Amino acid sequence: MKVRFWGVRGSIPVPGRATCRYGGNTSCVEVRPKGAAPIIIDAGTGLRRLGKSLMEEAFGDGKGKTSILISHTHWDHVQGLPFFAPAHRAGNEINIFARQRDTHLEAVFSQQHDSPYFPVPLQAMQAEMHFHELIEGARFDVGRAKITCTRLNHPWVAIAYRIDVDGAAVVYCADTAPFTDILFGREFMVTPPALDEPLPIDIQEELDRMRAGVVALAKGADLLIYDTQFTYDEYKLRPHWGHSHPDDAIQIARDANVKALCMYHHAPTRSDDANDVILAKYRDVVKQSGDRFELHMAYEGLELALGDE
Amino acid sequence: MKIKFWGVRGSIPAPGPDTIRYGGNTSCVSVQTATGDLIIIDMGTGLMHLGNHLMAGAFGKGTGKATILLSHTHWDHIQGLGFFAPVFISGNEFTVWGPGGSPEVLEGILEGQMDPNFSPLQTLKNFSATFDVRAFPHDEALGTAGVSITTRLHPHGGTTALGFRITEAGRTFVYASDVGQPVADAGPTADAIDFYRGADVLLHDTTYRPEHQATRRNRGFSTYEDAAAAAVAAGVQRLVMFHYDQDYSDDDVDALCASCREALDVRGGKAIGLVPAREGDELEI
Repeated sequence: MKVRFWGVRGSIPVPGRATCRYGGNTSCVEVRPKGAAPIIIDAGTGLRRLGKSLMEEAFGDGKGKTSILISHTHWDHVQGLPFFAPAHRAGNEINIFARQRDTHLEAVFSQQHDSPYFPVPLQAMQAEMHFHELIEGARFDVGRAKITCTRLNHPWVAIAYRIDVDGAAVVYCADTAPFTDILFGREFMVTPPALDEPLPIDIQEELDRMRAGVVALAKGADLLIYDTQFTYDEYKLRPHWGHSHPDDAIQIARDANVKALCMYHHAPTRSDDANDVILAKYRDVVKQSGDRFELHMAYEGLELALGDE
Repeated sequence: MKIKFWGVRGSIPAPGPDTIRYGGNTSCVSVQTATGDLIIIDMGTGLMHLGNHLMAGAFGKGTGKATILLSHTHWDHIQGLGFFAPVFISGNEFTVWGPGGSPEVLEGILEGQMDPNFSPLQTLKNFSATFDVRAFPHDEALGTAGVSITTRLHPHGGTTALGFRITEAGRTFVYASDVGQPVADAGPTADAIDFYRGADVLLHDTTYRPEHQATRRNRGFSTYEDAAAAAVAAGVQRLVMFHYDQDYSDDDVDALCASCREALDVRGGKAIGLVPAREGDELEI
């Protein structure tokens, strides 16, 4: 399979000179099993350009089929969907998978298309669209690909996906905080809690279980894509935002014994030059520690071949 | 009056190496009046960068005050709000004016953007600043000290968008983005021309080239031809091009600008200055 990055940014798209090497589009990754329809993970603004590229294939003739796996429905993971050209072409089939919410997924997604916000209602999108609600731990197939998922530690809950196909596995873990300081649920935190106090035992146990689930999901993966929105120092200032940092991602990669780790979901304020420095620093850390995995920093256009291409 | 462009793009932010000269952020313009008032027009992703800039001054200390005017509530005109740093500083005061007919309706629309399914902020009530939402009685003038603001409803696809005419000490800036041209070759309407008349600066929607508008007229945007026709008919001093299509590269916008210059000249508007809006650029009236 091939894995290609179309949007690598978190929170909000950031056009401009300072971000144009790594890219300013929000989260979107294409997984292409050999000779099969694309599986897309997340629908940030990167999805618009992926959609334009797909229109050069069967999607342009209304004969395309794709599945979009949504980690969660925060804006930076869904805001590209109204601009996904294949969804506006009759005959295409789009299957959207996301974690169950209090309201039906189709209702959640149609809110983005409500008339005060967008001129084209979801129901007027001409492709055939199906919404599939997932519970944590769900397993399902997309063509030959086997998909599994587990819960992440993020406000209003996000899920991680593992895709096994062509003798390889890719795991997508965005968005998540480390499993050490805060258990995220539905509360809004105005200010961060103190990080140096021990957590209540039941909370720590739940975080431990969640982390074990992530490590198990990523076990032996050929590629682990992980939320490193912050550096560790930035994380300490904003632990209540639900994002992680390279030191945490590297520890997960070690525990899961993955073959490659890709840092992903860069903060909107992160410049290309700052990303270069972080990548160089952590490549050195990985080398000094004798880690056997490769370390990448996601950029728009990065394509990695895994297993049987 | 000083006018500064923070986001000049339409529909969706368009990051990439081919948009860095004009900028890929969605609509946001600031107007600093001679008396020191700050008016912000539209809250696209450019608003985040305006906010970060404002934090260096009074807004960073919680003593900032601004009026926000919303042309309409499509995503590209409100999606910067959750990332506008000054709303998280207690003491800052924002008065937001926009469409919707009533403050409750407009506030409900803005609240919908913060729905916890979509935003970690969960609700506008988590803002620390005062965020006072009002809705335009469309024909009423909004006056602050020495500044008059009038509005006009433009057709915009299946809906409408507000235009703003801001006058201070005899100088006038008109903001007319997302202006639909429902009928081919109809030209600007008499009331639109009246609204733009004699402006020192007319900022007008130039989303498309004519060949692209022809297949997408129902989306409710203008071409450089529409903008040039309005500028000449209204006798404005300067025309600002704005709200470029997300698929247009910097080179495409250069070409759009050259075509607009020709369109002005052909119509007898040789004396009208032409300014393609570019992120970070400032105009003084």
